[in-house]
Amino acid sequence: MTSATSRPLEYLEGLPGTTFYKLYQQPSTALAIFRRMLPDLVNVAKCFVMALLYLKDPLPTADLEVWVNSESKKERDNALSILGRLHILSTTLTGDNVRAYMITNPFAASLRQALTGAEDSHSFGVFSQAPEHTLTSITDLDEYARRQWEGVMGYMVGTSALSGQRDMVNLSKGVKQLLQAGHLVEIRGNRVDITKDGFGFVLQDVNTQVWHILILYVESAEAIGMDSVEVLSFLFLLSSLELGSSYDKSHMTPNQLRTLMDLADFGIVYQEHADATRFYPTRLATTLTSDSSALSNPVTGSLTGPAGPSGGSGSGFIIIETNYRLYAYTSSPLQISLISLFTNLKYRFPNLVTGKITRQSVRRAIEMGITADQIISYLLSHAHPQLRKHSAAQPNGKGVPASVLPPTVTDQIRLWQLERDRLRATAGFLFKDFTSLAEYQAPCQYAAEIGVLVWKSDRKRMFFVTRHEQVAAFLRSQKVGGK
Amino acid sequence: MPPKRKAADTGRSRGASKRATPVPDIDISSDDDYSDHEELPEETNLKAVVNKFSLEAFSKKNQVEKTDPRFGYKDLSSLPLKRDHYNRPLWIEPLKGTITLESFSPLAPQAQDFLTTIAEPLSRPTHLHEYRLTGHSLYAAVSVGLKPQDIVEFLDRLSKTPLPESIRTFIIEFTKSYGKIKMVLRHNRYYVETTDPEMLQRLLKDEVIGPQRMDSTEGIIERAAPKMGGLVIPGTKDAAGVRETTQQEAAAAVARNEAEEGGAVNYGIDDIGEDETEEAITYSFEIPAAGVEVVKARCQSIGCPALEEYDFQGDTVNPNLDMDLKPAARIRSYQEKSLSKMFGNGRAKSGIIVLPCGAGKTLVGITAAATIKKGTIVLCTSSMSVVQWRNEFLRWTTIDPGDIAIFTSDHKEKFKRSTGIIVSTYSMVSQTRARSYDAQKMMDWLQSREWGMMILDEVHVVPASMFRKVTSAIAAQSKLGLTATLLREDDKIKDLNFLIGPKLYEANWMELAAQGHIAKVQCAEVWCPMTTEFYSEYLRESSRKQALLYIMNPRKFQACQFLIDFHEKRGDKIIVFSDNVYALERYALKLNKAYIYGGTPQNERMRILENFQHNEQVNTIFLSKIGDTSLDLPEATCLIQISSHYGSRRQEAQRLGRILRAKRRNDEGFNAFFYSLVSKDTNEMVYSAKRQAFLIDQGYAFKVITHLQGIDNYEGLSYATPAERRELLQEVMLQNESSADVEQVNDDLFSMRSGKRVTAKKAGPKRSAATLSGLAGGDDMAYIEYNKSRNKQLKDKAGHHPLFKKMERDRQRRKKEREMEG
Repeated sequence: MTSATSRPLEYLEGLPGTTFYKLYQQPSTALAIFRRMLPDLVNVAKCFVMALLYLKDPLPTADLEVWVNSESKKERDNALSILGRLHILSTTLTGDNVRAYMITNPFAASLRQALTGAEDSHSFGVFSQAPEHTLTSITDLDEYARRQWEGVMGYMVGTSALSGQRDMVNLSKGVKQLLQAGHLVEIRGNRVDITKDGFGFVLQDVNTQVWHILILYVESAEAIGMDSVEVLSFLFLLSSLELGSSYDKSHMTPNQLRTLMDLADFGIVYQEHADATRFYPTRLATTLTSDSSALSNPVTGSLTGPAGPSGGSGSGFIIIETNYRLYAYTSSPLQISLISLFTNLKYRFPNLVTGKITRQSVRRAIEMGITADQIISYLLSHAHPQLRKHSAAQPNGKGVPASVLPPTVTDQIRLWQLERDRLRATAGFLFKDFTSLAEYQAPCQYAAEIGVLVWKSDRKRMFFVTRHEQVAAFLRSQKVGGK
Repeated sequence: MPPKRKAADTGRSRGASKRATPVPDIDISSDDDYSDHEELPEETNLKAVVNKFSLEAFSKKNQVEKTDPRFGYKDLSSLPLKRDHYNRPLWIEPLKGTITLESFSPLAPQAQDFLTTIAEPLSRPTHLHEYRLTGHSLYAAVSVGLKPQDIVEFLDRLSKTPLPESIRTFIIEFTKSYGKIKMVLRHNRYYVETTDPEMLQRLLKDEVIGPQRMDSTEGIIERAAPKMGGLVIPGTKDAAGVRETTQQEAAAAVARNEAEEGGAVNYGIDDIGEDETEEAITYSFEIPAAGVEVVKARCQSIGCPALEEYDFQGDTVNPNLDMDLKPAARIRSYQEKSLSKMFGNGRAKSGIIVLPCGAGKTLVGITAAATIKKGTIVLCTSSMSVVQWRNEFLRWTTIDPGDIAIFTSDHKEKFKRSTGIIVSTYSMVSQTRARSYDAQKMMDWLQSREWGMMILDEVHVVPASMFRKVTSAIAAQSKLGLTATLLREDDKIKDLNFLIGPKLYEANWMELAAQGHIAKVQCAEVWCPMTTEFYSEYLRESSRKQALLYIMNPRKFQACQFLIDFHEKRGDKIIVFSDNVYALERYALKLNKAYIYGGTPQNERMRILENFQHNEQVNTIFLSKIGDTSLDLPEATCLIQISSHYGSRRQEAQRLGRILRAKRRNDEGFNAFFYSLVSKDTNEMVYSAKRQAFLIDQGYAFKVITHLQGIDNYEGLSYATPAERRELLQEVMLQNESSADVEQVNDDLFSMRSGKRVTAKKAGPKRSAATLSGLAGGDDMAYIEYNKSRNKQLKDKAGHHPLFKKMERDRQRRKKEREMEG
């Protein structure tokens, strides 16, 4: 799940503080970020926010530190670091010159408003009051979302062109431009070629894919004359809507209406026609910021084609065995072409494709730019219920359920990748030239605690981190504290 | 059965087996195509069938077989799915006959039973199993009494798609002639028996077979078909007094009820039992003993090979052997299943039973012998297993020790009474060169008798030529082959299928492990990086020397040392395998452990093994190739492999077999460990992947370990300094190429010209050529001396408790004192 959350998180962190200020004006945005952007890993961050939200005065740092056991210091620092990066938490000095934490203001006010519900700014959308003559059911919405989304994927991997599939989806120009702008595909003449990034993209689970597309959309919003903050906060609004209900469009700004049109092409929202007075969010939108895992997402399931009762609840369709044989219960050309990226396929039955993952097939995939982790996460997110059942039934001694995929296979796929690239590059920052060991050790330790440390050498007094802002801040505070 | 007939018969079958397959041409009169394909292996034959029908068939068929140009799969998606396909567990692929089974389907247990009978298991991991229909497997299915029509019907019922036409035709065509004709020896008179009157007519009209019919008064005999009814396999539930039939019926009824209650669709699988398909009446006619050979050959050439069955209950000529399983002996369900395939209709069929090592192959053989109760000859690979077999017979059966005899180079016994059991080795029996006087006398005696059954242990090691020698030398009514791994890197395994009989049963390893019959094993492949200096030499050297370098890789040595230490501390008993004798000695001496290889004298071997089993101080032994098979060490719980025979899947499986019978296997959470140490970036990696193929298809998972946790902090690690490593490298480089070779002595009789190596081992004085410098101590005297000291250590430990030593010393002292006084 880390991969699913990290991308939007990274994007948000890159935004300037003023953007946050604007974003947090909307209660729906504040709530969405609170719900989703704080990943499960740092539940402690949510606790902090809730504890501080209704405090009148800033909380002295020392008091907050008391709340956490000393052995969980690392988690605490990590949580505080994330909250800081998202501009939710800030430090101030209290009257008697003590450093203290407080929730930044637009966020605090908006979140309070979202929680208590005293709002009138239509932040959570307005239900359509018009009489419903054509009722759109959740099944219809799911079907619509699936078709549109699969159409986008199919366009990328080129299946629709190849086999002239049933229910071809006509993608709008905007969608194609967006995919091209995001370097997911390249268009040469009238041929669509998928890029390395594109391969990575199609192998991700649906939730991550949707976020990926949305962030691309926000990034390109400025180019077509829209305010990215407005678009972003509209997306958060969409994510807080309710599946199966229709919403009124009359309160919306022209930019929002335009965004709505574009999102309909992806299947994220549904409207009967462009001039309709109402729209429906689909499951792709409503699960954006919810905690419900994308794995059990019915859209993912229905993407797999006719799974049938033998496929169980239809939430996954791939069985991978310890002998590297792969069986996929699918008839979808899209899924088959995805699987064929890293598998030697053998037979295709009406509802099953069999094949084998080999060193050669994985290397082929890696040469195309697909990583072992992408393959594994694809296999994991589409694992057949039988695999899950099997792993749940076999706790590995310590009561922890065994991994869903055979560990030997995932290890081997990784090793096949390692075989190829024995060098790895990490972008980041080097800290060096410390005058004393103590001066070196403290920031190094801090970097390790907030999880940004990549490499260190005690002898050379150097360390390497992925992001430097907080370490720099820490160094400054050390200097202040020292003097 | 006179030996002469047998001899001629095997000569005949040699001619036939040139086709490398027992698959007969289907119908010579109707279609000449098949005689063209006669020479080809059965897969080609199958393709011929498929092609034939696809050519005739409509063009849509050709589309079905098309390979998708983009993804490389065979597109069968146009096969229609049955409406209730999710209730059915099989996909059947019409091109090669691959059958994919969902093992989680409610119908899977029945389907699995059925499929092991009619098809070769390809892979059986956790969820989806693959089988393949072949000519051999269908032959086996028919010989245990299944009818082609039933096979087709069953497959169709279980399949998610309608049974492809090519498969249907394949089954019908290939089986219609199998098993129709049986050659039965009753009251020492030969009969040709069939259940099909048409076939009988055809045989009688045949120009060769017809005249062979004896003009006896009886003419064509009609009699009721044999039933299992009267026969009870000892040790089974039957023997315990439970009526199996009623129980089966009850079970079937319960299953049916459950299926109905569960809402699942019952496809009537319970209704068809393998034995019930036998028709009520059989027709037979007598032929003279001299004509048997001709008739058999003719049957072969008209495409209806005659099955050989031994009606041992009706055999009054050969005396009965007074033997039964002891009441305490209980055979397990899978053993019972395999035996029921053999004795399906109350007669003994010839064939091969495949069970994993440690799953009780010996007991299956013993039970079969106890069922037939006639003179039995058991052939095994080494004199060590001869002793084991004899002991097992005495342990499980009530046989009189005088009725069981051993025939090896140093024991040449006969049994006292009219009949009994002889245990010998392949090499003793098949030897063609001059024998010693008593051995020759013994052989004459063996050849003069008619045996009820011949049990062939570890049958995969017997080459066809040796097997022919064995069968030509000894006349046996039925043959039972036992093995764990019916596979060879060469194609010779198919000969066995034909020479002995079809594969009657093959057990599922994972299932047996889950039921606790064999130990659960954690397999791991440990990757040991080559040190720089070794790797640069490796890149420079010839391939033979390369092997020595990757085996002697210091990192591998360290890994081995670390693992031995780790497992000894856990209380495991460890076997380390090395094919390479030089490495075996180097490793064992450096680590100060006992080791056994082909050159170790028999009594020393015994002493070391006994110590390993009973002495708490000896927890690790090093074994060369000689330990691969037939070595019964239930104490061993951990296995480390440092060098192996290239890409031999069989060796890997056999070695794993050494720990499958671990005594402690039923302890809570017990796991045996199997490590294969591989030097990274060398040829060993390639071989290793090949070797594991068989076990992986059985469902074993090899975990790759790239770094052993804790090895960095391990104290006393050998070759820790560059200087030590350079020294080792120098030493390795000084070795000549022959050191890199794997040991020549082995269990595999294919590579053995005669039985000399095994038998000469224990003969009293040894004569050998040596160089003068060698005799003067110029050779490797230093480490041989060292070796002896290890073994002496063991001998002392084994022989004398310190208390007795002290008493001995005291006695000596007193004696001396007395002498002094005197």
